[in-house]
Amino acid sequence: MKQKKRMSLLAKQSAAGWIFLTPAALLIAVMAFWPMIQAFIMSLQTGSSANMQWSEPIFNNYTRMFQDKLFLRSVGNTFLYLIIQVPIMLILAILLAQLLNNKHLRLKGFFRTCIFLPCATSLVSYSLIFKSLFATDGLINSVLVHLGILESNYNFLGNAASAKAVIIIALIWRWTGYNMVFYLAGLQNIEYSVYEAAKIDGANGWKTFWGITVPLLKPTIIMTFIMSINGTLQLFDESVNLTNGGPANATITMSHYIYNNSLGQGVANFGYATAMSFFVFIIVAILAFINMKVGDTRD
Amino acid sequence: MKRKLISALLVSVMTISLAACGTGGGSSEGGEGGSGSSEGGHKLTVYAWDPAFNIPAIEAAAADYKENVDSEFELEILEQAASEDVETAITTAGSSGDYSNLPDIVLFQDHYIQRYVADYPDAWTPLGDVDINWDDFAAEKLDYSTIDGEHYGVPVDNGTVVAAYRTDLLEQAGYTIDDLTGCTWDKFIEIGKAVYEKTGKALLCMNSDGNDLPYIMMQAEGVSQFKDGKPYITENETLVTIVEKLVEMAKENVLLMPNSWSDYTDKAIQGDQVAGVMNGNWIIPTIEKVEANSGKWAITSMPTLEGGEGYASNGGSSLYITSNCQNVDLAKDFLAYTFGGSTTTYDNALKDGGVISTYAPAGETEVYNEGVEYFNNQPIYADIVEMGTHVQTVEQSDYHYSARNYVGSAIVNIINGADTMDALQEAEDQLNFEMGN
Amino acid sequence: MTKKRNRSMIQRRLIPTYIFLIIVAFLSVFPFYWMISAATNTSFEVANGKLTLGGHFIENFQNLVNGNELWRAMGNSFLYSILQTVLAILICSLAGFGFELYHDKKKDVLFSIILLAMMIPQVATMIPLFRLLSSAKLLNSALGFILPSLSTPFLIMMFRQNSRNFPVDVMEAARIDGLSEIGIFVRMYMPMMKATYAAAAVITFMNAWNSYLWPKVIMTLPESQTMPMLIANLSGGYTTDYGVLMVGVLFCSIPTMIVFFVLQKQFAEGITGAVK
Repeated sequence: MKQKKRMSLLAKQSAAGWIFLTPAALLIAVMAFWPMIQAFIMSLQTGSSANMQWSEPIFNNYTRMFQDKLFLRSVGNTFLYLIIQVPIMLILAILLAQLLNNKHLRLKGFFRTCIFLPCATSLVSYSLIFKSLFATDGLINSVLVHLGILESNYNFLGNAASAKAVIIIALIWRWTGYNMVFYLAGLQNIEYSVYEAAKIDGANGWKTFWGITVPLLKPTIIMTFIMSINGTLQLFDESVNLTNGGPANATITMSHYIYNNSLGQGVANFGYATAMSFFVFIIVAILAFINMKVGDTRD
Repeated sequence: MKRKLISALLVSVMTISLAACGTGGGSSEGGEGGSGSSEGGHKLTVYAWDPAFNIPAIEAAAADYKENVDSEFELEILEQAASEDVETAITTAGSSGDYSNLPDIVLFQDHYIQRYVADYPDAWTPLGDVDINWDDFAAEKLDYSTIDGEHYGVPVDNGTVVAAYRTDLLEQAGYTIDDLTGCTWDKFIEIGKAVYEKTGKALLCMNSDGNDLPYIMMQAEGVSQFKDGKPYITENETLVTIVEKLVEMAKENVLLMPNSWSDYTDKAIQGDQVAGVMNGNWIIPTIEKVEANSGKWAITSMPTLEGGEGYASNGGSSLYITSNCQNVDLAKDFLAYTFGGSTTTYDNALKDGGVISTYAPAGETEVYNEGVEYFNNQPIYADIVEMGTHVQTVEQSDYHYSARNYVGSAIVNIINGADTMDALQEAEDQLNFEMGN
Repeated sequence: MTKKRNRSMIQRRLIPTYIFLIIVAFLSVFPFYWMISAATNTSFEVANGKLTLGGHFIENFQNLVNGNELWRAMGNSFLYSILQTVLAILICSLAGFGFELYHDKKKDVLFSIILLAMMIPQVATMIPLFRLLSSAKLLNSALGFILPSLSTPFLIMMFRQNSRNFPVDVMEAARIDGLSEIGIFVRMYMPMMKATYAAAAVITFMNAWNSYLWPKVIMTLPESQTMPMLIANLSGGYTTDYGVLMVGVLFCSIPTMIVFFVLQKQFAEGITGAVK
């Protein structure tokens, strides 16, 4: 009898839990999964958005993308950004967080605010700013020429390699502070005494960084890693606003190319565009899965 | 008790959402009945972009119609960020099969309209027996807005290409504008080299992510990027020669290639880095922004490969009535009266927005024939309308801009060291691939 | 005395750190200076890289206000962003609370499924979403703007993670005292999780304020235009007035900066909880 009552209480609590998460779950079902299913159906179709028909053969859009040189190039570009930008940004963010976590440091709030500030800019403005800084007659060029590093003004955005570098620099500028805040928060959970002890043991800064900071921040690192992978694979605004994918499509990203095939250039090939975005979805899911498996050593 | 509280919470969440609905209600009015006007009224809505160009022209038309035809007339211009936004509006409306959110009239890019009428036949209202004398318009322009012999749009602006040169710089190099009128491209390159040597300025410019020059240079030859609906690139000797000329010009400092459209307008042209500009005449207001150079510019026609004056057209748009228009008679009458034949509209469109017409009688008005101080009192507007009548119609395609993009990319790659035929082959392959050939 | 010397020695050892931080801080802030200086110069000066402050701010501002519905776009952006922020953190915190403190196998499975939604690219769902909301007659409405982002896996995850520190025994005690489940949420959970709410609010507000692609699709009337859309209009024509544009950008950046400045302490604390 007593047990029965307890059971019903638990059941009641469980039901309450279900009710709490219902609005969120319903919204996600309707606003994310339902459109995703629709998008999958669309990815098997072809034609203009007003008159879509089944592809012939049915997976035509999927086989097509692997013969599309431009799409493959956009995949290559996106992965290049991912491989170079994400590690640099995250390491820099951890490093900054570590420096700012020093209890003797003054003006902490000031530095933190300054470094976080870039994420408050809208994407349009930050792209404009970088475009003008790296212009052929822009500030970066005149500084480099004055310092004697460059002989004459260099067209950074007009050359494939340097244009990619500018996109990577811009991304690092915008997102390092954002990630730093996560690490800073994570670091504040680490007792300062752990560091003091390490110091007594004679560990230098580099050793404590890899020996203490990084392992203790692991959950945070995994989270920021997944967020950054996801963000970079869906990179869009920088490619559109900073280089417009140029020169000669050398810097175009997957999302940008997908957009060009759906709403961008009057093409409106929704079937093909959604097929490509499924490809992105699968890659992100796989990478996130690997990341969680590799990172998860607790259980 | 618990259940009550939970339901109370859910209710409150719902109320907040409803309140959200309510507050949004103020702006959702249009969403209910669409942006189109109601039947029998005096009001029309229109999508347009570019507050410095198209919008003043449309405002001029509205004022003209209100003053001379219907004193209660009202035109609401729904400003869009770019021409793509109008295309997106049609595309997204088409995807749901619900066109009721479209305005009565849209401004639409000439190069895309054929495809959008074919893909979204339910989005448009053909003009039918509207009271416009079509013979007054340039044939090349009408070619876009006429589909299967049926008129769908009324032309607004004129994309006739002008070749504008700095006469003072030409003079320094020992040439005049007459040397550049009807000359060959080889002669042009020769003059360009001399100008660069003497003044340090390029005689021509094009944004490197752009593709205006190859297209207009071909149109001046009467050649298209398409032949019988198929890409016509590697086997198109004219195109190959033009690409080679452009690459040569870029290497010889005759052609300046800024990275983007904004660098082209703001740095190359307004930054006074060039001695010549060749593009649709809508580029003129940009040239005129450099006040210090007033009186030093002149316009003429384009060079051609074999010599002789070349004419082309680039860009431009027309106004189309959508299927959501509830007051088709008013819309037709408005378009027919204003852009279909009112020199008052065109005079004011020119004065307020710098929009030049393809409507031949407009070229005869006083406003059009006035000398323009900036161009050393040359009556450039009348000249442009006149040049517009010579533009040849070339084969168009739904893949017009795609073809231009791929050829443009090929040119950048060739300048950076790729083999000409390889790069053009890649462009052709990519275009064929996109077209599904 | 020794303490003082000790302190100054520590500060001296920190000099390289200070130099490095000053450089990073300068690099982070410099573009903002550029933005402000651009807002005070003419378009031509901006395009040609003028870096000093000019005297054209009032003129640029007037051009912006005259030609555009600046205040309307500001009002819209505030309305949508605030609505989205309030509703999203309410819905997602309820879910995070439910997932963590009432967790069982089935709910954990559902949670994993929800996390999967985080990886769905926006470009993929945009068209189906447009169809859905268009048939629900929600174009040009605040609800149409906010609905797709009211429940996000990221926020749910953040609230769930932070709830791990929520004292379960106190919860039991409250139940014995007769507090209902929803009472626990309102009276105990919400006050205790203040910092997480602040962090979630900052993130949601910034995303809502800066979003561009979705409003561009769903808002077809100028009356419902947002600030990023207005800025895009400013740079969409054959020629762009950079001075005016940068005043617009400045106005668009101020609210997100204020939100961050006001809530930055709670933001950091809230994020802390997020990954404990």
